[in-house]
Amino acid sequence: MAKVAMKVNGKQMSGDVEDRTLLVDFIRDTLALTGTHIGCDTSQCGACTIQLNGRAVKSCTMLAAQAEGADIMTIEGLAQGDKLHPVQQAFTECHALQCGFCTPGMIMASVGLLKDTPKPTDEEIYHGLEGNLCRCTGYINIVKAVKRASQLMAG
Amino acid sequence: MAEVFKGRREDRRLMTGVGRYTADWDLPGQLYGVFLRADRAHALMRSVDATAARKHPGVISVITGADLANAGFKFPGTMVSYPGRGGQSVKVPQRPCLARDRVRFVGEEVALVVATSKLAAQDATELIAIDYEDLPVVAHPEDAVKAGAVQLYPDIQNNICFDYEYGNEAATDAVFAKAHHVTRLKIESQRICGNPMEPRAALVAYDAAADRYDVYTSNQGPTMFKPGLAYVSGVPPEKIRIMPLDVGGGFGLRSGSFPEHVVLMYAAKALGKPIKWVGSRFENFVTDPHGRAIVIEGELAMDQGGKFLAIRTNWLADQGAYLTAAGPLINTANGMLTLSGVYNIPVGYGRHRLMLTNTTPTGPYRGAGRPDMAYICERLVDQAALEMKIDRAEIRRRNFIPKAAFPFKNAAGAVYDSGDIEALINHALEASNWSSFEARRKQSSANGKYRGIGCATFIEPAGGGAAPKDQAAVRFEEGDKIALIAPITPHGQGHETAFPEIVARVLGVPPESITLRGLDPHHSIPLMGNGVVGSRTAMHYGSALKLAAGEVVKKGLELASRKLEAAPDDIEFKNGRYTIKGTGRSVGLFDLAREHRPDASHPLNANGEWTLSRSFPSGAHVAEVEIDPATGMVDIIQYTAVDDCGDIINHTLVEGQLHGSVLQGVGQVLGEIGYYDRSNGQFLTGTFMDYYMPRAGLVRNLQGHELNVRSPTNPLGVKGVGEAGTTGSLPTVVNAIVDALKPLGIQHIDMPCTPARVWEAIQAAQKH
Amino acid sequence: MYNLTYKRAKSIDEAKQFIGANPDAKLMSGGMTLLPTLKQRLAQPSHVVDIGGLAELRGIEVKGDRLIVGAATRHFDVASSAVVKKAIPALAYLANLIGDQQVRNMGTMGGSVANNDPAADYPSAVLALNASVVTTKREIAADSYFKGVFETALEAGEIITKISFPLPKRAAYAKFAHPASGYAMTGVFVADFGGGNIRVAVTGAGPGVFRWKEAEAALAKNFSKQAVSGLAVKADGLNADIHAPAEYRANLVKVMCERAVQSIA
Repeated sequence: MAKVAMKVNGKQMSGDVEDRTLLVDFIRDTLALTGTHIGCDTSQCGACTIQLNGRAVKSCTMLAAQAEGADIMTIEGLAQGDKLHPVQQAFTECHALQCGFCTPGMIMASVGLLKDTPKPTDEEIYHGLEGNLCRCTGYINIVKAVKRASQLMAG
Repeated sequence: MAEVFKGRREDRRLMTGVGRYTADWDLPGQLYGVFLRADRAHALMRSVDATAARKHPGVISVITGADLANAGFKFPGTMVSYPGRGGQSVKVPQRPCLARDRVRFVGEEVALVVATSKLAAQDATELIAIDYEDLPVVAHPEDAVKAGAVQLYPDIQNNICFDYEYGNEAATDAVFAKAHHVTRLKIESQRICGNPMEPRAALVAYDAAADRYDVYTSNQGPTMFKPGLAYVSGVPPEKIRIMPLDVGGGFGLRSGSFPEHVVLMYAAKALGKPIKWVGSRFENFVTDPHGRAIVIEGELAMDQGGKFLAIRTNWLADQGAYLTAAGPLINTANGMLTLSGVYNIPVGYGRHRLMLTNTTPTGPYRGAGRPDMAYICERLVDQAALEMKIDRAEIRRRNFIPKAAFPFKNAAGAVYDSGDIEALINHALEASNWSSFEARRKQSSANGKYRGIGCATFIEPAGGGAAPKDQAAVRFEEGDKIALIAPITPHGQGHETAFPEIVARVLGVPPESITLRGLDPHHSIPLMGNGVVGSRTAMHYGSALKLAAGEVVKKGLELASRKLEAAPDDIEFKNGRYTIKGTGRSVGLFDLAREHRPDASHPLNANGEWTLSRSFPSGAHVAEVEIDPATGMVDIIQYTAVDDCGDIINHTLVEGQLHGSVLQGVGQVLGEIGYYDRSNGQFLTGTFMDYYMPRAGLVRNLQGHELNVRSPTNPLGVKGVGEAGTTGSLPTVVNAIVDALKPLGIQHIDMPCTPARVWEAIQAAQKH
Repeated sequence: MYNLTYKRAKSIDEAKQFIGANPDAKLMSGGMTLLPTLKQRLAQPSHVVDIGGLAELRGIEVKGDRLIVGAATRHFDVASSAVVKKAIPALAYLANLIGDQQVRNMGTMGGSVANNDPAADYPSAVLALNASVVTTKREIAADSYFKGVFETALEAGEIITKISFPLPKRAAYAKFAHPASGYAMTGVFVADFGGGNIRVAVTGAGPGVFRWKEAEAALAKNFSKQAVSGLAVKADGLNADIHAPAEYRANLVKVMCERAVQSIA
């Protein structure tokens, strides 16, 4: 057991966990932020995507201890109070979510891809979302939502 | 109705991370369960030794099959209540909740380890020693019926648990014997892993004082889920509460209860603590019911003019090692219901043999028999067109059920409620630029690519169910709010948005004032009904709510009559207000509601119900594909879907259902397969590294069109929509691929049309 | 995951000493292969020694006629680096095809090269570009570095610090991604150093990255797609599994090589 501490959604947080604890389990079980989901065991589905020091990563493929001292944002930290983040706004407007399980990871990955590619082409969106699986939407409306978010963010 | 879609009511919670799926629930003092599962497909269990596991730090208990021997559990049954060939009934294999003396598939539950942490429980499962004696395996439906195949159960001969038939065998044989031409095809609808993105999980608590179980688990409706759980566990249904929560996808897989739930109930009571189990993706791969796994031989008889005279299908449907409740039902009834597809075929016959193999049990997966039937039927039609040298659209037109012939009784006796098939295909051909396709084929050919176009016209059953009716309630609450109560568990369909819209339209109040709630287990209104399955929820619960809302209006009229001191006949109801005709004197629905206590006795509260009915959504889909012969890669250039799903409640939600279901079908066509090594029954596609899943960009251009004929079968006039896309896309895309490969002389290719398989087919064709 | 102790190294020397003192410890850079392996309980190291955050292992620079990439440089940094795009654009292109966005944000070049997954992308670039693998002990030429499935010339306790690439005249990578995993079903990296010095390396198709010498010879004479089209690739020894037979991979070796060549010919 060791203490790990990091900034999560702007707040300093810490907890005592076994060294083998994955970051996603720390976020969900220790910090009780259950918006970050686990959809597979092999780092393929992307449901656990968060922002680590401003970059999209899979929190299931990191140890909690690895994130010691890091700045993390989970889906719970994305909206500003009642005001949705433009990616969230676009997801709801475009009906880009159905069951919603993949959605937090999909949104975090979209935020990441828009950071690197503010005006993405369709191909760039497919490429940026390669690490995220959705079984409900067929991705059609997710792709639309990323484009819509790009517009919203451009103002 | 061209209103702007403003998002769903459920979206905010799901997008901000405050939705609560099963794994997001915790209860004070909970323990953690991990299942040990069989690592082999077929073996006798000589002994199970959990001594070391029980001693492992943090372990509270290890429960094995022997521990459950006297638990009083029953073996699960099936939903099939009708007889098969020769009056036989389904032979149901006895499935213990934890294997006792024999395991029959990789993943079968063997023991439950309960510990103070998940990690400790995981560590301890590795310490359980099982002495297995391996047995030969059968891992494919065709292997199961071979002479000399190992028998899974001594009392189930030839591994066939049900032999079912419909239509008229003798009359069909007679037509085939004399037909001008017969087209024959054998197809396989391969085993599919449904893979809802939320892994299966459960949290079970037992309240000793109340003698009651609370079950938190992803499900497709408590009224469907609970009976199986109560039956197997022997716990009366009223002592089980299925807690409402968010469900991360179902697709049919989450409709029934599983051995895990029963074992967790047992453990929660025995240990006096809530127990949480969160399955891994691998566990989902090997224990969530698989879909399809069907081999079908089909034959179509026709006259000289390409007029279809008879159809015959012969199914081998793999049920896996045990039966799921719905498996035998969907693999028989859904074939029967659409035996002759969208065609006016006077006679037909279908035979379905359901077999047991050393594989994960199969059950409903989006479409559940519908795509398979549409697939064989529409592949036969395309093949017939080829053999008869008749244009593919033309041969269909010659055989369509005319619009005026609806309601139409098909060759198996099922009645299609309504439709206009010819209009669907006309629209689809036009929207897909079908007539100018050959120029595009040439263009691709000049670039070294094979281009193809394919269509399918299909009809599929929506509705039906086990409970005789579906009930819902409208309840007036404080502050001009209305609650809708229905025993359903939405999991992506958007019921929380659509159902208030249905009621709002009747009551003339803003939809925002209405909220859909699941069955509140704490203040239960006894409502009966079926699960969120079979493309049936809007038809039945939507109709029940519409009727309940009508009841509210009627009850309101009485109150308004008293309030306005006018005869009911002199009062009209419009836009949420009761007005004395020809005057300005009126009272609003909520004005009346406010005069009474907002509780169960509120005089405006009303219930509604709708009895079992069935509608038949239909569609015409067209896919255009391009194949790179160098790699075998199939690119879907355009997908056009024209669907008749009756009257529409919310267009955006309908379109969303179509997108998802088309892509699930395309996934099956292009890559998905749950693959067993036929020699040893090992499951080789147990991760997303090996199991193909559609990703963003798989279908780039998907155009959906509505061409709706109102269904006369329910008050809303709706048909189902959840499964139409999957039903249409299997035959559509394969027909397009075969069309692309036609210049090489290829007439059929089995799914999944992976790059390697397509490339191999091209190589083989080029050698000839 | 089995029980283990996490250790974040403060320097490469500390990591070296720690690994030396703990034979069952495992180095971790980005963790993109190690952590999934540990999650599946396929390995049981006593310690995980994290070197992914060491600044001394990061960085991209051109020194003389070589491009030097620090071992802990993330795929994203290589893919988006103006220096790499100018020096060896094919390497940046390849880096952008590794895994997915999230993997590229964590995974490192050194980790990929040390692990030598037979379907990883980087080994093909390292081998085709005739790069040197620089370690805490020595410099290893690519031709003697890769030894087969997950096997390399690295000795116990030896840590990759950087990869040094000679600059080719032109180079290209073509990849056919595995439809499920996204790894290379087959990836071919072609590098032309001028004067008939052509190197072609293949990943994904066989039990480890290998050079396709027939293609090198043919391309040395005539750097064109046609030169490759005339060659035959034997399926013997190539990977065969439920996803594709060896013959298919043999075909992909040729097709991907053709496409790589065509993109720069």
